[in-house]
Amino acid sequence: MYDHLEIRCPRLGGEVTFAYCQKEGGDLPCPRIIACWQPYFPVETYLRGRLTQPEWDRCFNRPQKDKMATLIELIEKAKRRKQVPDRG
Amino acid sequence: MEPVKVFLDDREIPKQWYNILADMPTPMSPPLHPGTGQPIGPDDLAPVFPMNLIEQEVSTERWIDIPEEVLEKYLLWRPTPLCRARNFEKLLDAPVKIYYKNEGVSPPGSHKPNTAVAQAYYNKVFGVKRLSTETGAGQWGSALSMACQMFGLECRVFMVKVSYEQKPYRRMMMMTWGANCIPSPSDKTEAGRKILAEIPDSPGSLGIAISEAIEDAVSDEDARYSLGSVLNHVLLHQTINGLECQKQLEKLGVYPDVVIGCTGGGSNFAGLCLPFVRDKIHGKDISIVAAEPTSCPTMTRGPFAYDFGDTAMTTPLLPMHTLGHDFVPAPIHAGGLRYHGMAPIISHLVKEQIVEARAYNQLETFDAGVKWARTEGYIPAPETNHAIAAVVQEAQRAKEEGKEKTILFNWSGHGLVDLAAYDAYLSGKLTKYELPDEEIQGSLNSIAGLPKP
Repeated sequence: MYDHLEIRCPRLGGEVTFAYCQKEGGDLPCPRIIACWQPYFPVETYLRGRLTQPEWDRCFNRPQKDKMATLIELIEKAKRRKQVPDRG
Repeated sequence: MEPVKVFLDDREIPKQWYNILADMPTPMSPPLHPGTGQPIGPDDLAPVFPMNLIEQEVSTERWIDIPEEVLEKYLLWRPTPLCRARNFEKLLDAPVKIYYKNEGVSPPGSHKPNTAVAQAYYNKVFGVKRLSTETGAGQWGSALSMACQMFGLECRVFMVKVSYEQKPYRRMMMMTWGANCIPSPSDKTEAGRKILAEIPDSPGSLGIAISEAIEDAVSDEDARYSLGSVLNHVLLHQTINGLECQKQLEKLGVYPDVVIGCTGGGSNFAGLCLPFVRDKIHGKDISIVAAEPTSCPTMTRGPFAYDFGDTAMTTPLLPMHTLGHDFVPAPIHAGGLRYHGMAPIISHLVKEQIVEARAYNQLETFDAGVKWARTEGYIPAPETNHAIAAVVQEAQRAKEEGKEKTILFNWSGHGLVDLAAYDAYLSGKLTKYELPDEEIQGSLNSIAGLPKP
């Protein structure tokens, strides 16, 4: 019922639908979904009815990293990915 | 006839960037390696950034020379004009003088090339052949595409697929400047292929696009990665804007009472505001406002908005007081800014109460932007509208207080490639949904157990 609603995504800099926000994280919603949508409809209630507690925790209760830490993690991951084919 | 614009001669362009780290009243915590817990060192960053930019990232030198080659490119559109918004002042009918720095005159139409050009230059002299980056709607991607072309670098931009399909014009700009713009997730990287295998029709996300861009850079020793916001060296390059502005204000014999910039990752805000932050640290009586995009219910609709409590997110959701967006208690408001995409320098300045953060929802920002377009002519970028909303609020306060104020803000970009956003707003599609009272009550019941202010 809410999927078609549109909002401007502060991260992307473009308009997205609620349907997008629900799967921004692949199988999980965007962590900002409640901050962005709560003023317009009861998104928290809506999501609590749809996410399991582990999913909720993975989406909203996971420690957030700063950008530099995220970059370092991505560099390490990319280096590991690069090494795997070499070994094969 | 009253003058509207103040220009600087090309020869007057500032020759150095300003580094706020030299003047921070309290030290910032060093970023820690998530694996080791130790401070991140140059070697950790070397796979994605050239050493000359890493040196700037950690530098505490107050002034850093702008290379001649960068100045030559800046001069294509810089110094940008400082303008007086007389028509907007009339509309607001408040005792305020409003000045704005027009960063929309750059070729891609925003402040972004201030760092894109510098980053392309430093990568070039380091011997890098290709830059890789990610972009959402394309503002950063287009700026870097142009900058790479200027210095003969290849550019690969991973653009979030949902934006790639919705935003053809920025994609076309990137291609015109010679960049390779790829919808993300893509089959170019392991990260992208993994997502596509799981979700073939994935619309992508900024997180996926960043993963792809980093992997792309790490996998090619001739390539490096480029980021358009958040990092210290990015904010450093942006200060050319505020430094120009100070010279222009000096010509007018004016000093602002309030300086405003909108903030997402922090680079646009920092560009104008950091030189004024320096003044404030050294005793100037000036308010510096970071206008951030968030969605908050007003007091007429409900007492709570939500945001994550802290970077640690030990409290998953914090209820925030919103008084018509006039006032949010600082510690809680700072939580809104401390999401992972915010520049550590800006977060630190908010924490130190040198910068005041305010939140504006998108409907009031578009309302302000449309008023601006109908008085001053220029159509602002939707992000710029947050700063304009803050200007409107400041003007209203000045009127209520009967106090004269001089307001300066960063007109960070034009919205000519974002007209779809205006269409969505003007046609009522942009979250016009009205929340029924029973749903508000239901929503409040559902959070009865959560902490309240």
